[in-house]
Amino acid sequence: MASGLVGRVVGTNPSRAARLIPSRWTSSKAVVGAKLKTFQIYRWNADSPGKPELQDYQLDLKDCGPMVLDALIKITNEMDPSLTFRRSCREGMCGSCAMNIDGCNGLACLTKIESESSKVTTITPLPHMFVIKDLVVDMTNFYNQYKSIEPWLKRKTPASVPGKEILQSKKDRAKLDGMYECILCACCSTSCPSYWWNPESYLGPAALLHANRWISDSRDEYTKERLEAINDEFKLYRCHTILNCARACPKGLNPGKQISHIKQLQK
Amino acid sequence: MGATKLSGMQKQVLSLYRGFLRAARSKPTTEDRKRIQTIVSTEFRKNSKEVDRKNFQYIEYLLRLGHKQLDQLKSPDMVSISSVKIN
Repeated sequence: MASGLVGRVVGTNPSRAARLIPSRWTSSKAVVGAKLKTFQIYRWNADSPGKPELQDYQLDLKDCGPMVLDALIKITNEMDPSLTFRRSCREGMCGSCAMNIDGCNGLACLTKIESESSKVTTITPLPHMFVIKDLVVDMTNFYNQYKSIEPWLKRKTPASVPGKEILQSKKDRAKLDGMYECILCACCSTSCPSYWWNPESYLGPAALLHANRWISDSRDEYTKERLEAINDEFKLYRCHTILNCARACPKGLNPGKQISHIKQLQK
Repeated sequence: MGATKLSGMQKQVLSLYRGFLRAARSKPTTEDRKRIQTIVSTEFRKNSKEVDRKNFQYIEYLLRLGHKQLDQLKSPDMVSISSVKIN
């Protein structure tokens, strides 16, 4: 869509000018009466030299869906196909599009674009995570920590009726509410300052929430072993109830509360 | 002999290279071992010439990528690696 590009280079950043690409991109359908909003998006490519930068994109909000993900898809389709980000379900269920929008972690598909067109929306990847490209971060450490708590049912005795489900009362099932809904988007863990400073040793709010989910499950018989496995100065007790996790969770869960539940059980 | 002391990052790169060569030795056929060794050594030598010594961000990115590939290669199911040159 070369016809829609603004050819002049805005000379605020000399290294950008040296690369001879337009640093401000505008939608080709910019017409009179359009409500233009500027998005500043974090860009970094391993192959091209240079440091990461915030690139400006201008979009007509009247021509775009209400969520930040709609804006990102529109930018990728019409303006800059090299913009890279993860996305899948577009309805807040998969957790792929987790990123930092205007300073707060959240899912791009659930965050509404602030309609005030004079304000600039800044989109950056999840904080304190290694960046693979643009908005895509390396989640391996996060997934390994989830794996380390052994998030599956473990039993010592076989089921009362072999081959059939292990029964659970409604009251016991209600104990899992607030934990089973976690989609592993990593918004909470990457918003925790304690996790920023100790990502390898501290498990983080998401993994600990899932640890509590299995500890509280009445069908699981390895409760004592699970509690002992995480009863560690670094794995559990790096949590200082900062509670940024509860603020960041796009599903409205409270990992801090679940962590304090584990700490109580440890006594 | 390398008289100057190696920096921490240089040591990491060398230990990753050693790791790749050790993984190559554990593969069944000699042909596979040679192939892995040539691919890995050309990649490392090419990067050592092309990448600026001070470009820590890119070097760390390549180290992380290399460690992930090494973990994949170490598994006994992996037999060999191959590379394709596109001009």
